Amino acid sequence: MDIKDVPCPFCGCLCDDVKIQIEDNRITGVENCCTLGNAKFLSKSRLQHPIMRKDGKWVEVSYEEAIDETARILSDAVRPLLYGWSGTVGEAQVVGVHLAEEIGALIDSTTSVCHNPSILAIQEVGHPGCTLGQVKNRADLVIYWGCNPIEAHPRHMSRYTTYADGYFIDNTATDRKVIVVDIRRSDGAKVADEFIQVKPGGDYLVLSALRAMVRGKSDVVPDSVAGVKKVQLQRVADLMMKAKFGAVFFGLGVTMSRGKYKNVRNAIELVSELNRKTKFTISAMRGHFNVYGFNEVLTWMAGYPFAVDFSRGIAFYNPGETSVIDLLEKKEPDACLVVASDPGAHFPKSTIEHIAAIPTVQIDPCVNATTALCQVQIPVAITGIESAGTAYRMDGVPIRMKKVLETDFPTDQEILERIVTRIREMRADG
Amino acid sequence: MRLTLSSGRTIPQGSFVEHKLSKGYQRATSIVYINHLDLMELGIESGDRVQVTSDSGSVVLITEATHDIPTGCAYIALGPYANAIIGGYTHGTGMPDYKDIIVEIEPTDDPVPTVWDLMEIIGGLRYGH
Repeated sequence: MDIKDVPCPFCGCLCDDVKIQIEDNRITGVENCCTLGNAKFLSKSRLQHPIMRKDGKWVEVSYEEAIDETARILSDAVRPLLYGWSGTVGEAQVVGVHLAEEIGALIDSTTSVCHNPSILAIQEVGHPGCTLGQVKNRADLVIYWGCNPIEAHPRHMSRYTTYADGYFIDNTATDRKVIVVDIRRSDGAKVADEFIQVKPGGDYLVLSALRAMVRGKSDVVPDSVAGVKKVQLQRVADLMMKAKFGAVFFGLGVTMSRGKYKNVRNAIELVSELNRKTKFTISAMRGHFNVYGFNEVLTWMAGYPFAVDFSRGIAFYNPGETSVIDLLEKKEPDACLVVASDPGAHFPKSTIEHIAAIPTVQIDPCVNATTALCQVQIPVAITGIESAGTAYRMDGVPIRMKKVLETDFPTDQEILERIVTRIREMRADG
Repeated sequence: MRLTLSSGRTIPQGSFVEHKLSKGYQRATSIVYINHLDLMELGIESGDRVQVTSDSGSVVLITEATHDIPTGCAYIALGPYANAIIGGYTHGTGMPDYKDIIVEIEPTDDPVPTVWDLMEIIGGLRYGH
């Protein structure tokens, strides 16, 4: 059996043209997908039962026992942390936010360690963005800044930019120019029309130089800026101003390096300058398939997109204080629930040391690095393959994820609802 | 030798992301990419092991020579190996320095730890399967 137009539950591109072949409730073929999506659709390894640490050993337990233990851990905690959320759908995230409010937890997502600085910058100066469809059909200049779509979002260029046909572009091969800005000559840089190689930490300077040039103040720019020659910067500034529709995509090379959100703010302000002369947009290359969705869900429920602390009984947001890394670095949490992410593999060592030191529960289909740090792990259906729901593409377009395989595993949402119910029962019992 | 190390996505890292305890993931996330000239200065070949040390930690990695990274810089896939040398300080932004980390690199014969080893060093317990 073939199922068409299946959205891929891997990265923020959420490619929704994937074709899946299924035989006997197994995926036997995947078409139109990239290497990363293929690996996920065809993955066979998973955790088969809930597991719990008892007397220093892992033992298999029932779902009921695992949920009981989770509810007990979260009920007993004074400063619980609920973290993750980017690899599940909005319907499960909603339950997570309700749970956070009910137990006075701090809730944060993987946003905190990817595009958190982009959100801070957007909150300062706004977001001249657009959907990917606009870029595909109109952009005659695309700039990838501090990101490498070929390795992180492998179909971004073929679906939306470099290799995609555009409705208002006669010949994309000749009429659409691509500029890549990076500290290394990435695969994306190799296919670009222009590659700007910046010295590490130099993005802010280069953005400032381009802003000056777009303002007509080229004379203030020195001969070389963060390793980039002035003649190249002038060529790029001219390309930008001549474009009919320019689109900037930026990645973690901008958000994680020195300057953090100030880099993003400078990039947004460059785009604002360009909008005085032509049409320009800027967008973040969001990573997990539904990392954007969590920002939407938390914003409409709590008013803020990530790092929300409910310990005061109200939603309190102060990144740098209520963001997950700072919280763990200060060793504040006394219990942690990890849902649909893997901090064990992706957080600095000092912060996961604290996760290992407190009672931690993970809800995830697979054994991963965080498994070693947990007291309990509850396996679930694989979202977007074995369970349906809503995810948000990197440009904010909601897409319905499909269920293509039957499973006996419960969904993230079901497990979270059972935990909430059990906590309420425990509290009613006093 | 002092280098500026950045971490980020690579295709092999992303392909093994659902199999974090596999040899493939370990290999994909424990390679440090260094310019040929820097390797020559270190006196080692591509594929030899190095001890990489920052202010926040130290870890053994495998080198791979490349022309795509300038001298003075190094690159590693995101993951538990990179995080063994990344600090938790966020400059009040919530975002740690996953890029532009100053590291000291020296040749070593020590083995590369497994992902489970790294998790147990910080107090975790490997799962048996």
